[in-house]
Amino acid sequence: MKSWKFELLLLLRSRPAFVALAVLALLAALAVWNGMRAVQSQRHALERIAAIQAADLGDRASRQAANGDAGLTAYYTPHLTFDPPAPLAFAAIGQRDVLPFALQVRALGLQAQLYESEALNPELAAPGHFDFAFVLVYLGPLFIIALMHDLVSGEREAGRLRLLSSLPGKRAGLWRRRVLLRLALVAAVLLLPLLAGALLSGAALGQTAMMAGATVLYIAFWCGVAAWGAAVARSAAAGAALLLAAFMLLTLVLPTAVNAALERAIPVAQGAELALAQRQAVHTAWDKPREATMQSFFRTHPEWKDTGPLPDGFHWKWYYAMQQAGDDAVAGQAALYRSALWSREKWTRNAGFLLAGVNLQVLLHRLAGTDMEARLAYLDRVSAFHERLRRHFYPYVFKEKPFGEADFARLPVYSASTADGMPPWQMGAMLAALAAAALLLGLRRAARVSG
Amino acid sequence: MRPAFAATAWRVAQEEWRALRRSKVALAAALLLLVLTLAAIGVGLERAHSVEAQRARLQQQADEQWNRQPDRHPHRVVHYGHYVFRPLTALAFFDFGVAPFTGSTLYLEGHRQNSANFSDAGQSSLLLRFGQLTPAFVLQVLAPLLLLFLAFGSLARERERGQLRLLLAHGVSGGALMAGKLAAHGILVLMLAAPALAALAAIAGADPLLAAPAGWLALGYAAYLLLWSFAAVLLSALVRQARDALLFLVGAWALMAVLLPRMLPDAAAELVPRPTRIEMEAAVHAELLRIGDSHNPDDPYFSSFRDSVLKRYGVSRIEDLPVNYKGLVIEEGERLTSELFLSSMQRDFARQAAQGSLLDTAALAVPLLALRSMSAALADTDRGAHERFLLAGEDYRYRLIQSLNRLHAEKVKYHDDRAQRISADYWRALPRYQHPPAPLERTVAQRVWPALAIFAGWLAAALLAAAWTAHRLERKA
Repeated sequence: MKSWKFELLLLLRSRPAFVALAVLALLAALAVWNGMRAVQSQRHALERIAAIQAADLGDRASRQAANGDAGLTAYYTPHLTFDPPAPLAFAAIGQRDVLPFALQVRALGLQAQLYESEALNPELAAPGHFDFAFVLVYLGPLFIIALMHDLVSGEREAGRLRLLSSLPGKRAGLWRRRVLLRLALVAAVLLLPLLAGALLSGAALGQTAMMAGATVLYIAFWCGVAAWGAAVARSAAAGAALLLAAFMLLTLVLPTAVNAALERAIPVAQGAELALAQRQAVHTAWDKPREATMQSFFRTHPEWKDTGPLPDGFHWKWYYAMQQAGDDAVAGQAALYRSALWSREKWTRNAGFLLAGVNLQVLLHRLAGTDMEARLAYLDRVSAFHERLRRHFYPYVFKEKPFGEADFARLPVYSASTADGMPPWQMGAMLAALAAAALLLGLRRAARVSG
Repeated sequence: MRPAFAATAWRVAQEEWRALRRSKVALAAALLLLVLTLAAIGVGLERAHSVEAQRARLQQQADEQWNRQPDRHPHRVVHYGHYVFRPLTALAFFDFGVAPFTGSTLYLEGHRQNSANFSDAGQSSLLLRFGQLTPAFVLQVLAPLLLLFLAFGSLARERERGQLRLLLAHGVSGGALMAGKLAAHGILVLMLAAPALAALAAIAGADPLLAAPAGWLALGYAAYLLLWSFAAVLLSALVRQARDALLFLVGAWALMAVLLPRMLPDAAAELVPRPTRIEMEAAVHAELLRIGDSHNPDDPYFSSFRDSVLKRYGVSRIEDLPVNYKGLVIEEGERLTSELFLSSMQRDFARQAAQGSLLDTAALAVPLLALRSMSAALADTDRGAHERFLLAGEDYRYRLIQSLNRLHAEKVKYHDDRAQRISADYWRALPRYQHPPAPLERTVAQRVWPALAIFAGWLAAALLAAAWTAHRLERKA
């Protein structure tokens, strides 16, 4: 215990180390604050949107005639779906900036409404955000390298290495203490702001603990790598060069290379093709015999089969059958598009089995509910709500029931998901394995250092 | 410059290169940069090519669908709409800019202004947020870090070893020493950037229209990299130990190339808040209600419109008009909504420009921001390029829809309007979308000159500091 306290004093008395830790703590706190601010502004936007929606609906209800036309009402009335940020979203803002977190849908074809994009300023989105995930993934390793690159060579250059390594049996213990101490300090300055943010955001204990655990594992991974680099290098500069090259490869080059490979291997042109096909399916119905459209609608909605033949002119039931037939016609393509998006996510996770930085990003954003999985889950909820919505209107349209002011109060209301993001345990296990391997390798290599 | 001074400086530079050739760290850094640049050129070219091939295929598909429409009522065609896809210039391989974050698919239809959808960012996993392997990313972020490793010891190590004092004692002036080291690292960094610049030259050679932007790009990147290497040599001359120089420089890199370029955009977003798409659409909708409702026969705006039409044609009933009144009403409605769409779009562009101008100001202190904006503008992958696409798309949409509404007014009879169809030849003859060329002159004036001025200012400051440091070297070897 005494030797631990001694090492701690030694470390904190070194001005560069103290400054580095203080700066890292400050950056982590700033990042948590910035993330909470961004999440807060998303919450405010959702409140404003909900108010707009309520006012619009109230306005429509007040203008509605007692025997209002249900088909026309369904055509014009937008309904709100929204995806509020999860409590831990502040730590990893992820994709929530580029994808809309609220989407209005009408009872028309869903596939033409589902992929609406948010009006973002691309110039601000492209560099990425200053959130906890950024500080941890990019700046964490840099600070660890700054703290540890001269762990061994510093002693060598000061002429103490021979003395230190001549103490029999104590050598391994010394380096272990020094590495683990640095690990603990870096973890502490990063975890304190994170935990404070989680507490203020009312995050669940389990999720917070998992995020903290992933954070510590990632720091341990880099401490192991840094210990190895410091032990291998003959000079401080060589140690820094080696470790920064490793940093560059692991967090800047390989992930971008994997992304380039994924974009090549799993193209998602299906998105635009889906849009083209859906339009074609809906609009060719205007040129086809209307009875054919009704028959294809009845195949998936047999309960409306016996509502009488179509009249001569326009009828809304044909119109809504046609909208649904359009969605049905592209259901296969929509599923393909969804599975292409999902396989990009899956392959990203596979890359995370080898790349600690990617692994950590996956875990953080899963826990924060800001990744592709959360996005697809939101789209699924929108789809389910849209189905409720159109089925709510069918009785009015098919039985020609009027839609009056009071009917607005009976409209289905979207309820947001409150499920917490659960990370795939394999990812966590693999991050632990990577961290353990790096730490073991680093400590063993350090133990073999000789003057 | 005195010949002796130049000769000495040149000898210093040659000595520096000889030392670097023997340094394993320097060789490894140079090799890594070379491999990264080549990989980035390969990946960039391949990706730009596949994006362009996909766009061409989709555009052809959309055009075919447009032409294959049967004879229809023109208003059906208005609702059928048309798709346009944004093309990329050949320089996009060098810098994807913000293109992955903007939708490239625009659905054009009547009465509505749709968002540009299917951006890469929306369809990618989080990997995209690690950055993209383009020559621009390599030169903007990775190259500075690697070149710091070449230059951090240039003077500090000589001081450590006592060689600095020896050189000065042998009559090498501090100025010549400094000039030689600056020249050595300046030339070196240009050689390291050469593969990327050669790729630019090759593209420019293939397409003379791209020669000017490629030349500006080369100039900008050269100035930016020179700045980093000068800063590294300078710092190396100022500190006592080489490792201090390295720590300072890596710290500066983390701040200037990693931290601030992320932090400042977030600050800009905070300082200039922008509404969401739903809020902007609601505002347009509210304005629209204020003007009038074309579906309501008693609406004051549209009844005065009807009176003016009747007066113009000198008839008293809309049934007696020589044109189809329904087509005219839809045409007028489209004119009104499009005006509102456009002004809403312009207001949002102004907000985004206000955010951008905050970054432009910050670029004075963070040269990477200046380079980023200049580079994406020249590659035609910046926010301005996206706005040009949206504006040109909206302009095309308006003309297309109004041509169809004109056909509605002139070729469809008022009586039994809905039951009629007109020949598909009418809309097949309408012009296709033409993507407007990049406004090079404006880009150079608004993006390139300011960035070059910032680099020039920093370089001048670096040279002044070098002159001062040269004197200091002589006093405090």
